[in-house]
Parts: sequence; C-alpha cells; structure tokens
Amino acid sequence: MTDQRIDGYARALFEIARAEGTLDTVEDELYRFARALEGSEALRNSLTDEQIPASRRQSIVEDLVGGSASPTTVQLVSMVVGSGRGRDLPAIVDSLVARASSAKNLELAEVRTAVPLTGDQESRLAAALAAATGKSVNLKVVVDPSVIGGVVATIGDTVIDGSVRSRIEQLKSRL
Amino acid sequence: MTFLATADPTRTHSWIWPEGYEVYFGGAASIFVFALLFKFAGPTLKKGMSDRTARIQKQLDDAANAMSSAQAEAIRIREAKGDIGSERARLLAEADTQAQQLLVDGRARLEVEIVDLETKAVADNVAASGRIGDELRAEVARLSIAAVDHVVSGSLDAATHQELIENFIVRVGAGR
Repeated sequence: MTDQRIDGYARALFEIARAEGTLDTVEDELYRFARALEGSEALRNSLTDEQIPASRRQSIVEDLVGGSASPTTVQLVSMVVGSGRGRDLPAIVDSLVARASSAKNLELAEVRTAVPLTGDQESRLAAALAAATGKSVNLKVVVDPSVIGGVVATIGDTVIDGSVRSRIEQLKSRL
Repeated sequence: MTFLATADPTRTHSWIWPEGYEVYFGGAASIFVFALLFKFAGPTLKKGMSDRTARIQKQLDDAANAMSSAQAEAIRIREAKGDIGSERARLLAEADTQAQQLLVDGRARLEVEIVDLETKAVADNVAASGRIGDELRAEVARLSIAAVDHVVSGSLDAATHQELIENFIVRVGAGR
C-alpha cells in the first residue's frame, strides 16, 4: 500500500473520530489494537487472509474488541479490515496518531510496559517525559510482556529504556 | 819302454816325445793351418766376437735400462703408495670431519626440533586451556542467559513492577 493511500485512510479515520468527538479515545484504542496486531501473527493472519470473507473478518474484529473498545473504534477497525487493508492497519494507525498529535501540537510518546499503568501513573509519566524532552507529549501506552518489567519510552528518535529486558540484555552481553 | 822303442822300429824313441821330423813338419803344418785360420777365419771370428761383445753390451744396456725403468717404476709405485696412504688419510680425516659435522648438525637440528616441539606443545596446551576455558565460560554464560529470564521474570511481582515504573517516572522527571 502506498504512503498516499495510508495517509488517505488515516485522514479519513481521523476526521471520523474527530467528528464523533472521540478522537482521544479512538486514537488510543486504535494504537493499542495496532500494536496488538503487530505482536500477534495469528491475529494478523486472520485479519489479512483474503480467503476469509470480509464479513467473517469483520465479525472477528467485533468479537475481539467489541467489548473493550468504543463503537467508533470497532467500526473503524472493521471498516479497514473489511476493505482488505488489515495488513496496513498499523501503518494507518501510526499515521492517524501522528496526525492527531500534530493537530494537538503534541509529540507522540510511545510507552511500553509489562503491566498496565494507572491513570495517575500515565499523567505523571507524561509530565516527566514532557519535562525531560521539553515537549508536550501524546502518551500512548502499550502493554508488552516482552518488556518483562519497567518502562521503555520512545519519543521521536529518542528512546528512554528503563526496562528489565534491556538490563537483562546488558547482563547477557557482559556474560 | 825306451829300450823297447829303440829295439822296435815301429816304435818311437820316446814314449812321450814324437820324432823330430814329426815335430818339424807338424809344427810347420800347425803354423800353416793357424796362419790360414788367422787369415780366413780371423775376421769372421773377430766379427763374431765383436758382434757377441755388442750383443752382450746391448743386453747389458737393456738390463741397465730395464733396471732404471724398474727403479723408476719402483719409485713411482712407492710414491703412488705414499699418495694412496696420504689420500687414505685425507679421506679418513675428511670422513671424520663430515661425521663430526653431521653429528653436530644433527644434535643442533634435534635441539631445535625439541625446542620447537616443546614450544608447540606449550602453545597447544595454552590454546587448549584457553579453548576449554572459553567453552566453559560460554557454556556458563549460555546457562546463565537461559536462566536469567526465568529467574528475573519469576521474581517480579506486582509490587516490583510498580516500583520499577515509579522509579522510571522519577528518574525521567528528574532529567533522566
């Protein structure tokens, strides 16, 4: 899929979410779903398999995230998957989040943790990252068990790695 | 006997001396014969004697030459014998020298080979020790790496997770 087409889909999703007044929620839920899609080969195969009818793929999406995500998010994901662009969903969502961050004059900050953060932790972490980078950040938290423990924050080209995984890797390197 | 010769005409007057005329005629005939011999056989005889003398002289000269040749040959043989002896001595000395040199070279080569073998053995020993050490360290590292994920993951409870997150927030907020 070309960048132009990805941007087109991202712009469409962005406008729909903004029109619905749920941009922050949709953006956050789509980001999490995109990361989950990247991390699960089985899910990716299911949602991108052309042999599976579009209605079946859409029902998989609804069964998967229908109970935990907003209706707008479910419908947007279902639309993308149903149009056969499931493989490009992570790129579309990344473009959407970048667009949303730009619209809010924020810097995207992806935070990966082994366990979910509380709302208070997210707020304090966003403030800490803003203080560290000098930019207001659009915090996106992804629960990633491969982190093992701690936090990995990525803001643009800057990576602040406080994960147990990196410490284990350092230990392995020394070994 | 004298009596008998005087009495018997068939007998001479002396049993040892011829008659006088026999002495004269016999002497003249002998002189005549000797003169003939001297005249006709003398040169031949003289020439035969000269030839004999020359032949004998030649034989003497040949003998002298042969003796000289033999003496020269004897000298040459003695010299050759002396040369052979000196050559033999030289060859023996040279063989001794070569044998000594071979012995020295062989000892030197063996010493070098022994040193090389010892050096190689030491190097092999060191390499083997290092390799075994490396393999051991690699095995320990591999086992440690395999165990560390499990050990660390198992030791992280909820409180530890929260502590890690809080520490990260504090550290980042403090300017990393």
